[in-house]
Amino acid sequence: MKRYFKLLFLPILAIGLFIYVQQTSLTPKLGLDLQGGISVILTADEETDPEVLQKAVEIMRTRIEAFGDVQEPEISISGNSAVLVQLPGVTDQERAIQALGATGLLTFRPVLDSSIDTGYSPAFQYIPNENDPDNPTKISVPGVDEEIGITISDNPNFDSYLLSIDQGYPVIYHLGPAELTGNDIEDAIAVYPENEWIVSLDFKAESEDKFTNLTKKLASEIGERRRLAIVLDGEIVSAPGIALDVNPDIGITGGTAAISMGNTDTGESANNLAVILRYGALPVSFERSSIQKVSASLGEDTLNLGLQAGLIGLIIISIIIILYYRLLGLVSVFGLSMFGLLFYSVISLLGKFQGFTLTLAGIAGIIVSIGLAADSYIVTFEKLKDEIKVGRSFEFAANKAVDDSWKTILTADFVSLSAAFLLYILAVGPIRGFALALGIATIFDLLFTRLYTRNSVPVLVAKLDNTRLMYPIKNKDITNV
Amino acid sequence: MFKNLFLGNTSINFYEKRKFLQNVLIIEVLFFLIVFVSASLGLLNLNFSVDFTGGTTYQFSSDYAKSDIDEILANEILEVSRYQTFENSSSILFRAVEGTQAQETQFLNYLANKFDINANEIEFQRVGPTFGQEITSSGIRALIIFLSFIVLLISIRFQFRFSIVALIALLHDLFICTSIYLLLNFEITPSTVIALLTILGYSLYDTVILFDKLRDSQRLNKESDLSIKTLNKTFNEILMRSINTSITSAVPIASILFLGNVIGLSGTLTDFALPLFIGIISGTYSSIFVTIPFLSKIINK
Repeated sequence: MKRYFKLLFLPILAIGLFIYVQQTSLTPKLGLDLQGGISVILTADEETDPEVLQKAVEIMRTRIEAFGDVQEPEISISGNSAVLVQLPGVTDQERAIQALGATGLLTFRPVLDSSIDTGYSPAFQYIPNENDPDNPTKISVPGVDEEIGITISDNPNFDSYLLSIDQGYPVIYHLGPAELTGNDIEDAIAVYPENEWIVSLDFKAESEDKFTNLTKKLASEIGERRRLAIVLDGEIVSAPGIALDVNPDIGITGGTAAISMGNTDTGESANNLAVILRYGALPVSFERSSIQKVSASLGEDTLNLGLQAGLIGLIIISIIIILYYRLLGLVSVFGLSMFGLLFYSVISLLGKFQGFTLTLAGIAGIIVSIGLAADSYIVTFEKLKDEIKVGRSFEFAANKAVDDSWKTILTADFVSLSAAFLLYILAVGPIRGFALALGIATIFDLLFTRLYTRNSVPVLVAKLDNTRLMYPIKNKDITNV
Repeated sequence: MFKNLFLGNTSINFYEKRKFLQNVLIIEVLFFLIVFVSASLGLLNLNFSVDFTGGTTYQFSSDYAKSDIDEILANEILEVSRYQTFENSSSILFRAVEGTQAQETQFLNYLANKFDINANEIEFQRVGPTFGQEITSSGIRALIIFLSFIVLLISIRFQFRFSIVALIALLHDLFICTSIYLLLNFEITPSTVIALLTILGYSLYDTVILFDKLRDSQRLNKESDLSIKTLNKTFNEILMRSINTSITSAVPIASILFLGNVIGLSGTLTDFALPLFIGIISGTYSSIFVTIPFLSKIINK
């Protein structure tokens, strides 16, 4: 009775889990190479502090969430100095790169002039031509675009002419060199105290004076020159003016400032600005060392190839095993099917609760493990044959065979398991997915051998009286040896 | 014959075949030497994929003529180092050096115009050489630690001498794979590296099962050392298991190779499957035929 309980335990568990997985419509979480998407590897300098790297990863994560519309992005540190970004389902490369941002250098720069009064870029100067009043001579500052007058390659240490979209209208500002950077900011949040959204900004203690001095200078100006532009990677994010009641002799003190967003804002711009201020600059610069783009169709093709190959392989193996080992073959094919169901369910569950993604390397690991699982049965059946051959009764032979082969399989699987474990610890990227799949499969193989094979084979063999039911050989041939 | 093979009653005298197998092994070693020496002289090259060398790849499906390919190889935007076409498929792949982002985008659009397809349908991959190097170096580190661990494990479970035999069988399989890759100029991708690591696992698994069986037979015959009789008996008995196991392991992998070829999908999965297939065959062979000359040396006469 105990024997039946043991041998049925895993099949019942497998079927139960499979039904549960089907009921909750869980499927394995597919890796990027199977469902399409973009994978980017960003590499920082070798000696980057792990904490800095961790911070950069958090910033990227917030950025991607802030830009929205990316399903389950995965950003993780890989190795010592690399960050692996996986955006499944995304095939638009520009978006991925926008979401990550390059270095994301955030600066605060005083506005020196703008196109609001004149209607043309402050980089241009028109000198009236006496002979031809309709065509004044245009003089432009070096380094700007001839047509619209925007600085071509922006350097925050020098004057620049940059475009800003101010409530839907394009404005070109002439900016002075950067006075503060994103590193001076302690925190920024969007709040709604009354009637309008504001972004409340906190500077770090050591940067308070810098900010106070800057606002003193700006408060003494009038008009456009009271504005302070917030620039991210050469793009003006916002250019708020210093309030009229700020005293030019005192400036804004206390290291805090409030940027009023106007009463038309619904909170979205305020939140975006706060995110940029808070997370604008990455603490370290990255080089894009790999971009991989897989289209959804290619991913699907590969997945189907893997599934079909696995299925065909399984069917052929089943036919061979049943032809060769007869009733024993049926036992092993049933066991292998349960092994498959359990594996599928566990991978689905791991995907949901542990974030395990099934990649191509993982599928290869599974296909390899089918072979290993089948081998455990073959080892047992061959052992049984040896025992019957030396003239033991079927029942005794079966019990001895399962005990002996368990020891062999334990040793061999222990080698496989250590290989998978070492690979998982020591390797990076795709190798890990492979190692994990192989490791899980090996543990299942051990469980099945111990509980299922070890009990089902003696139960079955004790009821048989003819070797023809187990092997392609007659009773008299085997016992006459 | 089949009945005997099945019963493990084949009476092949493996011990007597040791001289022959030893000669086969010597020929194999000479073959490896020739291949590796020609490789070091630059006559043969390992064909590393873009993951190791760095660069960009562009893959898409479209009808093409030979003249189109020549035209692209002569383009002035990016230097195209290789191209690849696939049987049974209209897929085509170009591999180019790394350029600036603007050049790469320009080349992408150039291809899209040339073949009248949407630029989004082109699989684009850009890789710095560090990625492949990282996989390889961590793989080699894993390999060294793994091998030392295995020597230790087999020494504890069996004997130190046996662990050396297992190691030789393992290296044999690795060398066979590398030689085939060198000779046939197959592309080596990170998947190939993973597959090579798996082959080691297979080869060991097979060898460990063999050693276990040898030890069992020794106990049965109440011997403290390996004898000729035990050696012959064990190898005859284990033959059927080896054949059956390599069939069950090789069939799923063969079906990947077969299906991949029929569908015309030459991708990561087939990159895995090819070295695995070679490795399984070689692993089965080495666990029996490569171990015999060495095990024969262990026998006390």
